[in-house]
Amino acid sequence: MAELTLVEAINRAYAEELRRDDSVFLVGQDIRGGIFPHTMGLVQEFGPERIVDTPIAESGMYGVAFGAAQEGFRPVVDFMFGGFSYVTFAEASVTTGQYYFLHGSQHPLPLVITAAVGTGMRLANDHAMSIHGTFAHHPGIKVAMPSTPYDAKGMMKAAIRDNNPVVIPWHMGLMQERGEVPEDDYIVPLGKAAVKRQGSDVTILANSVQLKHALAVAAKLEGEFDVEVIDPRSFVPFDMETLLTSLAKTSRLVIVDEDWESGGFAATVSARVMEQGFDLLDAPVIRVTLPNLPVPGGYMEEYIAPNPAKIEAAIRQVCA
Amino acid sequence: MNLNKQQMRILYRNLVRADHLNRMMYQRMLQGKLIGFYHPSDGAIAPGVAAASFLNKDDNLSPHHRGHGITHMLSKGIDIKYYLAEHTGKDTGCCGGRSAFHFSFPEHKVYMMSGFIGYNFAPSVGWGWAAKRRNLGQVVMNCSGDGSYGQGRAHEALLMATNWQLPIIFYCENNGMAIHSEISEMHPTEDVSSLAQGYGMPAMVIDGQDVFACAEAALAAIEHARKGKGPTFVEAKTLRIKEHDMGTPDLRGWEARSEEEKLALMQRDPLVLATTRVLAEGVLKQDAIDQLHEEASREVQEIEDFADSSKIARPSEEQLLAAAFAP
Ligand SMILES: Cc1ncc(C[n+]2csc(CCOP(=O)(O)OP(=O)(O)O)c2C)c(N)n1
Ligand SMILES: [Mg+2]
Repeated sequence: MAELTLVEAINRAYAEELRRDDSVFLVGQDIRGGIFPHTMGLVQEFGPERIVDTPIAESGMYGVAFGAAQEGFRPVVDFMFGGFSYVTFAEASVTTGQYYFLHGSQHPLPLVITAAVGTGMRLANDHAMSIHGTFAHHPGIKVAMPSTPYDAKGMMKAAIRDNNPVVIPWHMGLMQERGEVPEDDYIVPLGKAAVKRQGSDVTILANSVQLKHALAVAAKLEGEFDVEVIDPRSFVPFDMETLLTSLAKTSRLVIVDEDWESGGFAATVSARVMEQGFDLLDAPVIRVTLPNLPVPGGYMEEYIAPNPAKIEAAIRQVCA
Repeated sequence: MNLNKQQMRILYRNLVRADHLNRMMYQRMLQGKLIGFYHPSDGAIAPGVAAASFLNKDDNLSPHHRGHGITHMLSKGIDIKYYLAEHTGKDTGCCGGRSAFHFSFPEHKVYMMSGFIGYNFAPSVGWGWAAKRRNLGQVVMNCSGDGSYGQGRAHEALLMATNWQLPIIFYCENNGMAIHSEISEMHPTEDVSSLAQGYGMPAMVIDGQDVFACAEAALAAIEHARKGKGPTFVEAKTLRIKEHDMGTPDLRGWEARSEEEKLALMQRDPLVLATTRVLAEGVLKQDAIDQLHEEASREVQEIEDFADSSKIARPSEEQLLAAAFAP
């Protein structure tokens, strides 16, 4: 088994799917040369007909994916930075989400939206915002996010083969994260959470780079608190069963999500737990999220975004 | 329109300053003394100097992103030390140290910067609309790259600016590249400004390495707009000597740009060309030029000292939340 970085794992998923299925293609800006390493080497093998660069025209670029998907192709459309997808948000969220259902559930729209997201580069809002919560808000679109190279490859393959629009953002803070990635063809099913660490005192639900923080905090607090850590992996569909099973054991929940407090994934899960698992809880759910501010750049990013210190404080509070 | 010697000296001085400041930004980025990224403007400073040097304070300016707008802003009279302080995360920065590469100088009518290429087009229509409504002869200098004209919003702005005959200059700084993409692959005609034809908008194509030619075109377009005669498209053909942004490989498509090619581009450095001209025409003598360089070095030093001696901005979350809405 090879040790790969997260971007290398995505690169493997692309290459394998491009080889397997001639209808798969990639479209984006400067993906042939590459802005991030995840598309490195693809144009050399698959040529510019299948690794397609467009002008700086996000609506047109997304339109290539949307229309080609209706025509039976399986596009992956790469927005470079997640925030750039908002340039064509009418098409990417509203029209995409409603296409299948509102037209009588007759004709699928198999496409993948991907982009780099997240804080860490100190570039501020337009280059740092998360997009999973906003896409998840629009019914009809699946959304998942990898936290390990293993998941990145399997999840991207699942997304490409899915008959629905699937959004797979990946966090820049995990770009060089290394892990074991099998050579073979495997899938990480969309809609299955992963219990990353067993514990009995408190459950932390954390995704992507925040999962890494949560696991570090859980290890640090060993002996003091027995922390269970769950990676949702997929936001839509969301694996409520795994979460409720965990809460039956721990009865306390901290949700960590690098998105705004208001209207985000953490808010949705918190409300669902109240509706479906109220009797399991011994304390109110606590959320660690971004405050409702355009993500500041500069040195503020470090302490405004969710971080290990905030996660630890939330654990102490929910267990108090 | 012929430039007088005084105008040529202003342009030359700003060109020298822009050159020094670009080198300062490049050095600081190499030394890890700049937050985020930097898109070097080597070889491409003439169009910005020309576009902004003769604007009035109450004219709107949207600087091109290359060189992070420094060329344009210094030419409009903005003190760059507040921008460097911002770009280094200091509390004296123009946005309080919270915005990395973004800038805002509302008192100079340089309102904003966004990381979204093409962001300038839609608000330019609003600035032009406001200028027309006020009828005080204000103009909008809307600068951006060849790549930005791929965005649908560029075409929407061209449409509305001509429909309403707004005082907007669509000032395209065409360096032939957008990251790794060559313009010839991304735009179907030789000149981006041929778009203007479809809207019945006057257009000019100029040598973007010649600051004086750029300024003649900019001044003509500005005067046209001030007189209420509507928008103009000005296309300055410039070049990109360095990589798109520091640290990103310098490719055309997916192959490296050659060193010979870049050496050839350097022969057309706008400051070298302008120096030959001002000396030949007796606009400036060598000792005056030397003095301009000394002044520019001092300016750079002052800008860096200001930023480096300022404190890192670390407001609390509460303070930031209190700043999220206007009172
Ligand atoms: C909406 C959006 N899409 C893509 C990008 C990534 N990007 C940053 S600069 C750039 C190229 C801009 O080209 P051009 O307008 O010609 O200016 P130049 O960099 O050549 O000076 C691109 C594609 C972005 N910042 N925003
Ligand atoms: Mg360009």
